[in-house]
Amino acid sequence: MSAAFYSRLSPDTAAKFRRFRRIRRGWWSFLVLLAFSALSLAAELLVNSRPLVVHYQGRWIFPTYGAIHTGREFGFDYDYEVNYRELQTRLAAGPGGDWVLLPPVPYGATENCNVGEVFKPRPPTWSGRHFLGTDQLNRDILARLLYGYRTALVFAVCYVALTYLIGVTLGCAMAYFGGWFDLTGQRLIEIWSLVPFLFVVIILRSVIPPSPGWDLWVLLGIVTLFSWISVSYYMRSTTYREKAREYVAAAQVLGAGPARVIFVHILPNTLATLVTFIPFTVTAAISSLTALDFIGFGLPPPTPSWGELLHQGTGNLNAPWIVSSAFTALTVTLILVTFVGEAIREAFDPKHFTTYE
Amino acid sequence: MPPLLEVRDLRMHFPVREGVLLRARQTCRAVDGVSFTLAAGETLGLVGESGCGKSTLGRCIVRLLTPTAGSIRFEGTDLAPLSRRALKPVRRQIQMVFQDPVESLNARHTVGQTLAEPFIIHGLGTPAERARWVQELLDQVGLPRGAEQKYPFEFSGGQRQRIGIARAIALRPKLVICDEPVSALDVSIQSQVLNLLMELQQQLGLSFLFIAHNLAVVKHVSDRIAIMYLGRIVELGGADDVYANPRHPYTRALLAAIPVPDPRRHSPPAPLAGDVPSPIHPPSGCPFHPRCPHATDRCKAERPELRTVATPTGTAQSVACHYDL
Repeated sequence: MSAAFYSRLSPDTAAKFRRFRRIRRGWWSFLVLLAFSALSLAAELLVNSRPLVVHYQGRWIFPTYGAIHTGREFGFDYDYEVNYRELQTRLAAGPGGDWVLLPPVPYGATENCNVGEVFKPRPPTWSGRHFLGTDQLNRDILARLLYGYRTALVFAVCYVALTYLIGVTLGCAMAYFGGWFDLTGQRLIEIWSLVPFLFVVIILRSVIPPSPGWDLWVLLGIVTLFSWISVSYYMRSTTYREKAREYVAAAQVLGAGPARVIFVHILPNTLATLVTFIPFTVTAAISSLTALDFIGFGLPPPTPSWGELLHQGTGNLNAPWIVSSAFTALTVTLILVTFVGEAIREAFDPKHFTTYE
Repeated sequence: MPPLLEVRDLRMHFPVREGVLLRARQTCRAVDGVSFTLAAGETLGLVGESGCGKSTLGRCIVRLLTPTAGSIRFEGTDLAPLSRRALKPVRRQIQMVFQDPVESLNARHTVGQTLAEPFIIHGLGTPAERARWVQELLDQVGLPRGAEQKYPFEFSGGQRQRIGIARAIALRPKLVICDEPVSALDVSIQSQVLNLLMELQQQLGLSFLFIAHNLAVVKHVSDRIAIMYLGRIVELGGADDVYANPRHPYTRALLAAIPVPDPRRHSPPAPLAGDVPSPIHPPSGCPFHPRCPHATDRCKAERPELRTVATPTGTAQSVACHYDL
């Protein structure tokens, strides 16, 4: 990476980043995860029932992110969204220069790919473009995996952000202000951490009605109610340590108030270690989302999700392509994140061993 | 003219908390009734063993700690009861140099950021002006140009302490508390840093409260010396008087413990026996009596107050001992 990039970091951070890059397993896992994430963010262009481009009677249509085009617009006799795969077959057979360019996998994540046929899992076919087969509702598994990964990614990013925001704020405040605030805060946290998480999720999921578009955020809110506690413990102890150091006293003698001391002095000195926890928090986020989906208290159907696929797969072991693809995707992702976490932890380790050869 | 700083009967008692509810069961009397004055441009050396409360005294004066009782009059204003906000303007006048320059500099800030911070906190200057002031400060403490872009770990111990000194003088204070400013440094660079402090004192008319446990260092820089033992001043006087004519047995023991660079001297004087008693359970009467070679029954029963004694030069010297030893 360029020298300009490194010079913008503090030398300490730059050295850590260099060490991280040198741990090849972690660095490559990081790049692969980055590639997966980029792919999933561009999922509409790769796996979608809507085509990339349609050329129809002299018109150029780009339906991927655009409005719905009805069947009647293309000469079919229905008013709902046109089936572009049918359209492609018809236009290819017909005369004229009209054509449809579909994505590599021409199926949507919530779409019944075999309308009117029996609901049953179908094995992978190369010609039918179902590279991982279909599930018991005739939906393409690859589509559900990719869109499910995106859901998990968004969930994990928001989960990490919220968890650390709450944990860092509360932990830091309790340690910095100390006294009765800290004492009562700690006792309340101890009580709170004894509340059984799963029961609360089950109760809240049954009380809060499903509201399309909001379900992910509701679930995120419920899960982060409990996840911040360990972060706050860590922040509390490190803030206690940092605030007793003399550079904090020096800032206070200069007249710095609590906000300045916390944000300019204490936080930058504690966050370096906190960063090493982030990959493991991501793992926790993905596995808890998958687990909740698996037992049916996660996102409501038909949201594509890995937990739901695993659940289907274990119920249909005679269709092994379901469980194996979901299981492989989950395992590979979690292993990659763990590799990244290990590498970050090692790169941030203050103890370096020199070996003499 | 009133003195720049007048500390009167200052006490700093820390509660020793125990039990589930953290009730204060006992108190640690770290500073227990200290009074002294400091004139403008003067250096008062404060000497004592580890744990005698000298650093706590310094931290009370810069109000890192809120004293339990007593007054700290700075230019006539009592700082002891002031709130953090009320203290802010006073902070420009009183600064502190810390003992360990590794600990007292934020490792994540460049030297430029560290030295600009005093100005930012007090809302002084534009970024360009601050950059110029930082340059002037670096020149003043003898650090090379370009140092402002480096991080503390790129400097040697002596240079780091220069950064700490530059930060302390940034706001042009009148009083600087030097809390063992050279004891973390190599002997070879201690004198350089001491000379820098004395030069700055001359240039800027600073007053120093110079806390140390090394008597040779203190003698070099101080006009007057206060000897502390277990939270109290036991002897206070002109530097030369105290050295030439120590009145308190504790001062004598400290002076006798100064190493003498003489290879022919064979028998070192008997060191002071025992340890400093705990400030949680101070001894009755004179706090020094368990270790004092001259202790009598009166010393065990009655606490001696500081009293003025005559000196050959006629300057003020006071000692907290019942006897003229």
